[in-house]
Amino acid sequence: MSDIIVKAASYLGPEGYGNSRTGLKPWPDALAQAVARGEVPDTSWATLFSSSCPRFGRMDALSRLGLMAVELLGVDFSALPERDRDELGVCLETRFGCLAADLNFLETLSPSVFTYTLPSTAIGEICIRHRLRGPVLCLIPANDNEQQALEQARARLRDGGAARCLCIGCDALAEPAVRRLGQRAGTQAGALYLGPDEHPSPSLACDGPLLELCRRLCVRAEIQYKSG
Amino acid sequence: MQQLIEELKQKIVAALNLQEVKPADIKEDEPLFGAGLGLDSIDALELVVLLERDYGIIVKEQEVARKAFTSVRALATFIEEHRGQCSKGA
Amino acid sequence: MDSPVTIAACAAITALGDGLPPLERALVHNTGGLRPCARFSGRNYQTDVVGAVPDELWNQLREETPGYTNAPAFLLANHVLRQLRRNVTGRLGLVLSTTKADILALERVQAGQPCSEAARRHILPGQLAADLAAANDIRGPVRCVSVACVSGLLALQTGAELLLHNAADAVIVVGVDLLSHFVLAGFTALKSLDPDGCRPFDKDRVGLSLGEGAGAILLTHGVVASVSDAAVDVFPAAGTAATTPNLPLCIAGWGSSNDANHLTGPSRDGSGLALAMERALRKAGRTPGEVDYVHAHGTGTLYNDTMEALALRRIFGERIPPFSSSKGMLGHTLGAAGILETILCVLAAQTDTVPGTPRLRTPAADMPASLQLTPQRGVKLRTLLKINAGFGGTNAALMLEQPKP
Repeated sequence: MSDIIVKAASYLGPEGYGNSRTGLKPWPDALAQAVARGEVPDTSWATLFSSSCPRFGRMDALSRLGLMAVELLGVDFSALPERDRDELGVCLETRFGCLAADLNFLETLSPSVFTYTLPSTAIGEICIRHRLRGPVLCLIPANDNEQQALEQARARLRDGGAARCLCIGCDALAEPAVRRLGQRAGTQAGALYLGPDEHPSPSLACDGPLLELCRRLCVRAEIQYKSG
Repeated sequence: MQQLIEELKQKIVAALNLQEVKPADIKEDEPLFGAGLGLDSIDALELVVLLERDYGIIVKEQEVARKAFTSVRALATFIEEHRGQCSKGA
Repeated sequence: MDSPVTIAACAAITALGDGLPPLERALVHNTGGLRPCARFSGRNYQTDVVGAVPDELWNQLREETPGYTNAPAFLLANHVLRQLRRNVTGRLGLVLSTTKADILALERVQAGQPCSEAARRHILPGQLAADLAAANDIRGPVRCVSVACVSGLLALQTGAELLLHNAADAVIVVGVDLLSHFVLAGFTALKSLDPDGCRPFDKDRVGLSLGEGAGAILLTHGVVASVSDAAVDVFPAAGTAATTPNLPLCIAGWGSSNDANHLTGPSRDGSGLALAMERALRKAGRTPGEVDYVHAHGTGTLYNDTMEALALRRIFGERIPPFSSSKGMLGHTLGAAGILETILCVLAAQTDTVPGTPRLRTPAADMPASLQLTPQRGVKLRTLLKINAGFGGTNAALMLEQPKP
């Protein structure tokens, strides 16, 4: 297992957002309250990134959050040879999935909203943006301390199913779903980019919740990471 | 007709959540699907919903929709031709 | 693979009724269970023709499972799960495949109607899986897979991986999804339903049909020592028995992919599905020429069936093996599809039957000649390929093989 490492990590949550190179930053005022309410507003992408994200406006919270978590990694997937992008696995893990879109669809019966009532659409958006054609999976754990996607990704990397893997954990729970299910509102997402230890090895120079997240996830999944 | 064209541009941007496009950016003769504005088949379905809800035109056949949606001008022409009819088949 | 992942037993409940015998009869006679369903009549959907589990069966399920009478997703899934769980010893894992879990509960909650505590919990697929495991004393790993129409095949893959990584001695993979206002309205909004019932690969096809049901497959690693075959109906009923006994199928390989092209665009050229098939073949160590039969996704929509024919040509060239779709038999059962359709492959192999395509009348002109309209008996199926494609551009393939005796 020593030749598979965490090449990049990102995090969006109550404490802030960031990646393994830049560390955690507090949310801009424009987004802080929305994030606490479990929402991912139309303006989220433009607030955080200078690149464009076509059709961000029609996506549901899960797709938006997943895309943002991957973008935050700061990895230029287009720089990978097509063959590597073809074999790049994508593993999504979400407890609440598309609940917001589900309720929105029951309200509006809109065809585009219906398209977003499946977590496979969030995976599709990530794969389309970064042109990834690798093996896919989405797991729905019962509790939020299981990190099943990471275990799955590790197993897949180990048995040759993929040479690289994007592991994304993603949840956005806002009104009215929160009220209906008696849960707490909030937004939380993280992405790990796992791959071979290529020279020069990237190091994870992060701290606070991001480092703690990586440490927890990696130790549990017995994946090596290098902390600078 | 021109007023309808301007109205459609605004409705398209709103109905399809086109954040990066302003109504004024849409050229009435450029393709809506594929090239041009780059809409997809889900957007086409939303436009069908829009036709029914805002103009009372029911589109039952995909082929009819395909021809009507080639451009904003084509869409406006289609609406002018069918406005007030209760349903339209092939 | 040194020690194969074996399909030791199966159970099902569908529009055709309870258990495997109705499925086997429909397979052999090329019939199906799509019909108008009062639950969905007189509403604004494109159709009320669906593959619904019969009302009498629903009543039976409610009677046999007090405490969950208003939790339909649990009722269906538990019914098939407990049949297989009965005789398994050792570390047992569970993998659940579902797209919307108890969507009926979400509808009631959204409308402010009463909803049982159990059903409310099952709105979240992960909790449905946890409850099923708890109710059936399953203490090994529990996973819930939800990837649109490819959930079933990916759940089987996940189960196989759990066995190969020695996380369990046996894994039961259960697929379940319900018919609902949500799904009928959703596919109506997409204008994807055939008002009269789907006709996969047909020149006059206009859309898909929806279905509900649950299927369960018991996977074991290597020789099955602790499952009593007499307890579950794996092997064919009298009258349709194969001429020479067939060994249980093994899962020899799997693959999945994403089109990375467009979510629903018509430019799907089949390359994504071909990639999934290629990966499954490679994992199984097989060449395309060794495949005896392909069980297609074949929903009956204009775009899917065309795309699938393209994918088959990419992999098999002009020598495409016999292939068919069962969506005309059960409808599209979404999260249960991959499981139920794999069970049909098991029944096909057990009865030496190449399945036909129920409700197909006239193949479209661009369909390969090996498309099976009607079943063919007396054909040994040793290597079968099961494929599915889903929303978001996802694709999955599963290689099934009879091991050498």
